[in-house]
Amino acid sequence: MRKLFETGNAAITEGAVAAGCNLFAGYPITPATEIAENMSRRLPQTGGFYVQAEDETASLHICIGGALGGLKAMTATSGPGYVLFADPYGWAIGSEIPLVIVNSQRVGPISGITGAPGQGEFYLSRYPTHGGNFETIVLAPNSVQEAFSMTVEAFYLAERFRTPVTLLADQLVTDGWASLSLPENETELNEMGLKVVPRSIHPGPIFYPPTDEIDVPPVVLGQNTGGACSDWTPTEEGYDTEDIEDQMKHANRLIGKILSHRDLIDRHESIYMDDDPEIVLVSYGSPSRVIGSAVKRAREAGMSVGCIRLKSLWPFQDKLFERRAVYLAVELNVDGQLVREVARASRGEVHFLGKCGELPRVSELIEAVDCLCDGCELKSKKWETVVW
Amino acid sequence: MDSLSTRYLRAKKIPSTACGGCGLGQVHKKILMAMDELALGVGDVVWGSGIGCAGRQTFNTWKGDNFAGTHGRVYAIATGLRLALPEDKKIIITSGDGDAFGIGLSHLLHCARRNVDITVIVADNLGYQSTGGQYGYTTPLGFVSDSSPYGAIEQNWIQNGIDILDVLRAGGATFLARHSSLEGYDAVKSVKAAIKNVGFSLIHFIYPCVSHFGPVSLKTRDIDRIFHWFKGIFEAGGVFGENFKSGIFHDAGNSRPEFASSLRSQRAEVEAGHLR
Amino acid sequence: MTRKEILISGFGGQGIVTAGRILGHASTLQGLSAAMLVSHGTETRGGYVRSQVVISEEAIDSPIVEKPNIFCAMSQAAYNRFFGISRNGVILYDPDLVKRIGPPSPTYLAIHAGAAARELGIPMSANMVMLGAILRTLGMISDECMKDAIAAISPRFTELNLMAFEAGYRT
Repeated sequence: MRKLFETGNAAITEGAVAAGCNLFAGYPITPATEIAENMSRRLPQTGGFYVQAEDETASLHICIGGALGGLKAMTATSGPGYVLFADPYGWAIGSEIPLVIVNSQRVGPISGITGAPGQGEFYLSRYPTHGGNFETIVLAPNSVQEAFSMTVEAFYLAERFRTPVTLLADQLVTDGWASLSLPENETELNEMGLKVVPRSIHPGPIFYPPTDEIDVPPVVLGQNTGGACSDWTPTEEGYDTEDIEDQMKHANRLIGKILSHRDLIDRHESIYMDDDPEIVLVSYGSPSRVIGSAVKRAREAGMSVGCIRLKSLWPFQDKLFERRAVYLAVELNVDGQLVREVARASRGEVHFLGKCGELPRVSELIEAVDCLCDGCELKSKKWETVVW
Repeated sequence: MDSLSTRYLRAKKIPSTACGGCGLGQVHKKILMAMDELALGVGDVVWGSGIGCAGRQTFNTWKGDNFAGTHGRVYAIATGLRLALPEDKKIIITSGDGDAFGIGLSHLLHCARRNVDITVIVADNLGYQSTGGQYGYTTPLGFVSDSSPYGAIEQNWIQNGIDILDVLRAGGATFLARHSSLEGYDAVKSVKAAIKNVGFSLIHFIYPCVSHFGPVSLKTRDIDRIFHWFKGIFEAGGVFGENFKSGIFHDAGNSRPEFASSLRSQRAEVEAGHLR
Repeated sequence: MTRKEILISGFGGQGIVTAGRILGHASTLQGLSAAMLVSHGTETRGGYVRSQVVISEEAIDSPIVEKPNIFCAMSQAAYNRFFGISRNGVILYDPDLVKRIGPPSPTYLAIHAGAAARELGIPMSANMVMLGAILRTLGMISDECMKDAIAAISPRFTELNLMAFEAGYRT
């Protein structure tokens, strides 16, 4: 195991290389540019290709093309580029192309502040394209080490589910430095609980089975299997169709394959949840780091508090919020995104603490928890209780 | 089904769903003739297509492997695919004028600049016909369409001394030609030369639309009259001017390094430790 | 609680980030956990570069330095901005660059980093002098790990940087 002190960007690069990534196409954008730079150095060393695309639309389409030819592809961007993925993201979902998309979120809207963290693409990562009738898989690291391991996991899930997977990071995770353990071979990788799935090739002719099954090899072109991949609704063999029954079968597969095997996707971390705390802080990504410190200090001060940190965001893990408690969602935005899902899933009292472009301080969080313990209203608004 | 179709095309896709009298079939056939003369087999070619009449009607007609991009993006997909395929595997793309010269022009130009080894057949029906007949980037100036009821006023890509093929040549394309679907063997020869160029090749193929362009823009449903008008575009007094000719426009075949092979060469240098 | 917070701040080109990287790398080699956030003030005049380093025997939750145990100030702008949150820690400053505010105190240590580096003929290594002084105050990391980290992060100038580091450690 190599011990390094590195950035999340470097960790993502090494995770991709460890997972067998051999194509990166990207377009420079702060704060994800360093991933592109690292890939441009690493991929030619490891038998891969680096392409600097003409725009983000092209980045992801080039990745799709490479994946269609059997390469393991990845791109990395930030919000302004992620939104340009709408077109190819849908293509990759519909045609079931395994690939990995990294989004290092920065504060928005629009170009926002390039070097400040944000969490504005929580919902965009659920609905990254038009048309509906699909589910997405989204993982969210909160540290440099996880940036490595979750990149490997993203490739793993992409292959098994035959779908694009988003790694939804933020500027602090990718630009931040930390101690990083890197496996030096596959045995060490496996010892970290990580696995690599090699690309397999669908032999045809049923490229789009009307079932929920996973581990279906994707279409790989150039193998003379008669493979067909398009933006149109496919028949089971990949012909374009306008038959509504084919559309229904296709949509049900895109949804069913993910929801029927979500035990492979769902991941979270609970801290101090065993003793039924009254207040539960909910977060993902960088804010969860500060929450970890705050919750420890709040408990030392006698407050009944615990926290849930989501490591996979989509499909959303409703079952984590079945317990009656007062939930406080903490996010790097002030419009509230995660909190809406928590409100929907918990059906209970839900509050929101949002920051724009910087992490909340430990003291700020303890103050908020203290306030909730006393039954006071937070200065920020109480989230509307949603009863479904 | 003729012998070429039997050999190269999927039975499920014949007959095509194109309108009766559409010229696209003739473009399609010329590509197959070129392949036949080059002795290419089904396994030697991966076929890509775009959106619109030309894309939709050709998708998955090829007996081998097929892909279709969203509107204008098939060139970027092909760029990635080129890296994954062996160098001797051909990528042929059939797309339309809106796809190539409008929504996808940036990707197309970047393919030319990178000299990606693909052959793009732009099957041009002089406007957006599959959506019902709106003017496009090759609709003659002044012509009426469903979205230019008073006549197309916007400068197009092929008239008044402006030529999209000049743009592509300046952008680095290594083989360019222009034909109409109504031509004979010369067009097949151009397709052959395009496929043989290990680099970016594009053929601008103009073909008659009898359902929208004819009735709306030429104001006739008479197929003979429509075909007669299309035959005249390369002749003296043609609508696009004197310099609008059929034939090879630019041939610098195999003169510039190809994109994927350049990347492979540099990678080999890195792997050998010559580059750090 | 072994968590130590170190804030190093100055202006661009002083090697503020390199100093933080070496400190983080050395901690990692030592078997400790380390984290660093780098930020740049956006002002053209009076801007600053800041490395927030956290070192701990346990996994690190918050990577934010809220109350530094050690604050190393290498510019007046940085000092003015951060000395307020550093009152309970040790403040290392270069008196050639920073005019101290407030009365003298045993927790304010003047480190003539720039002068020491110039004396050694390596004016660019003032950051390494400061790093030596930081380590002297911090403890936790062995000389060997520190030297390995310097060699790993600045392989081209290892010898010179080690000289500067040792000069700082001895002050």
